[in-house]
Amino acid sequence: MASVSLRGIKKQYDNNQVIKGIDLSIADGEFVVFVGPSGCGKSTLLRIIAGLEDISEGTLEIGGQVSNTVEPSRRGIAMVFQSYALYPHMSVAENMGFALKLAKVPKAEIAGRVGRAAQILQIEHLLERKPKALSGGQRQRVAIGRAIVRKPQVFLFDEPLSNLDAALRGQTRVELARLHRELQATMIYVTHDQVEAMTLGQKIVVLNGGRIEQVGTPVDLYERPANKFVAGFLGSPRMNFFEATLVGEAGGSAGVMLAGGARVQVAADVARAQLGARVTLGVRPEHLQIMRPGVTETRQDGGVKATVALVEYLGDVTLVYAHVEGAAGAESEMVAVKCDADIAPPAPGSRVELVFPASRAFLFDADGLVFAPVWAEREEAPLLQAR
Amino acid sequence: MNGSMAQRAQLGWTVAGVAACVLLAALWTFPLLWAMSTALRPEHETVSAVFHWLPQDWTLDAFRITLGAGNLPRWLFNSALVALLVTAVTMAISLMAAYAFSQLRFRGRSLLFAVAMLAFLLPFEALLVPLFRTMNQLGLINSYAGLVLPQVVSPVVIYVFKQFFDQIPADFREAAVMDGAGPLRVLWSVYLPISGNIVWAMAIVTFIGAWNNFLWPFIIVTSNDMMTIPLGLTQTYDAFGVRYAQLMASALLGALPVGLAYALFQRRVTQGFLAASGLKG
Repeated sequence: MASVSLRGIKKQYDNNQVIKGIDLSIADGEFVVFVGPSGCGKSTLLRIIAGLEDISEGTLEIGGQVSNTVEPSRRGIAMVFQSYALYPHMSVAENMGFALKLAKVPKAEIAGRVGRAAQILQIEHLLERKPKALSGGQRQRVAIGRAIVRKPQVFLFDEPLSNLDAALRGQTRVELARLHRELQATMIYVTHDQVEAMTLGQKIVVLNGGRIEQVGTPVDLYERPANKFVAGFLGSPRMNFFEATLVGEAGGSAGVMLAGGARVQVAADVARAQLGARVTLGVRPEHLQIMRPGVTETRQDGGVKATVALVEYLGDVTLVYAHVEGAAGAESEMVAVKCDADIAPPAPGSRVELVFPASRAFLFDADGLVFAPVWAEREEAPLLQAR
Repeated sequence: MNGSMAQRAQLGWTVAGVAACVLLAALWTFPLLWAMSTALRPEHETVSAVFHWLPQDWTLDAFRITLGAGNLPRWLFNSALVALLVTAVTMAISLMAAYAFSQLRFRGRSLLFAVAMLAFLLPFEALLVPLFRTMNQLGLINSYAGLVLPQVVSPVVIYVFKQFFDQIPADFREAAVMDGAGPLRVLWSVYLPISGNIVWAMAIVTFIGAWNNFLWPFIIVTSNDMMTIPLGLTQTYDAFGVRYAQLMASALLGALPVGLAYALFQRRVTQGFLAASGLKG
């Protein structure tokens, strides 16, 4: 068994509580990603699981055993550090075999296990080299190899790709996913990069300020965020937020009025709110549509007047940034619209209208909690339907 | 025009700098060269009224007599043994203390480190009487333990090691802990190899200091057989009176092992000091 269970985990440094009560279960063989902004406690939580930090309160179980005070080397875990932490005076083979040497494993067995791990990671030709003679990607694979050799129950990764360039990061992400499939091991991965989180994780834990904001699959978190923080953290460009007032509610559809006076409909259950309540409307950039002024008068969805400020062509998409008209005609914050790159975008300075599709917008209350969306279940594209 | 003037000025500064270095080097090496010149001439030439830079009559008699008379071989052995023991024990204690102060977290760590560094403020001379009384009570007068023990605590070495260990990323220690290493194993297998050059530098400096130490052996040793080289040379002087050639020969023979050691390990010493300073060599 290689499950990990955290119950009521808290961590305090002097008078500063950095982990404020974490309850989380990680199943055997699961690839879980801890993601969040800097200072949210994700690395601290990982270090707590590793045994490099003490637990102030709560219970940690690894493989069904309470491990609060168990030494790091006896927890059945192996960790890949952000800096790789390869011993500079040892060769690659010595680095990978160091833990086994400390455990007094026979030399022949050490050589065998190191060789097999090197084969999996395709680094057999590097075994006699010192770390300073390796590239960043090679060092990273050696660090992973050092973890594999120990045959741990749980792998811990602390932002292992952050020192690599973009191209290598993409390539290594694929390799990590392959490794997980091959080893069938429980993996806990810490990153601040939402792309890594969304592509690698079977389950994502979004952390903020020492607490869990939401736990779920990438699809769940992206399409059903529990609160404004999760909605804004995942997605690039981030979700657009508009301050609004609840002005109507009827059968799963809420009417809200934006600061500039525009009225839009949102498919959300707002039964727990009162009319006149301050709410936040959230729409992802890819769900906004740009219309010529006047077109929205004939549509059921409301439109918001805006002025294009900046157009960014990225090759596969075009990002249009526009200032939305606020109260009394004043400009408010900038919103981002993701457009198809094949379509000519409006020029900077153009006045446009932005359409909010009711079925793709979110409403959040004053505390940031989402009003339950009232959508039809997401239909799968024909190619992806199960046979 | 301005360019050539600037170049001439630059050349002038360079020449002046080189000349100053040559002068300082000459001043620094003159005593050594004069000692060699004195040791290689007959005794009567050393007190001759006529001054000669070099010996008129080259001879190794002074070295022959020095090695045959007195107790020089025994003193050389004592110096080597004491210096090696002081170096080994000082390095062991300092490395462990520095590692604890740098990497371990325990109550009172900062206070303990401050107390250890307070020893900087105490001159060794102020400790002579209490140290002598302690060694006497322990029965360690005229013993190797008595010679070695008071010399093995060096706040300077602890400080240098601690500063260096502070610069080593904590990830190395944590990775070793995850691999199953205890504190001593982490120090031996990870920190010590990484700190190789600085350890060599401190070891050489400690060795030279222990070899050249005159004051403490002078206090703790009364037996001729237990003397170290610096102490033994004063006995030579008393025994030979004003035999300068033999005196210089004794001094050169006493300094020879340390000089050879430094010559062999000079590169490591330089690298060690560069590593400690954070500069790239």
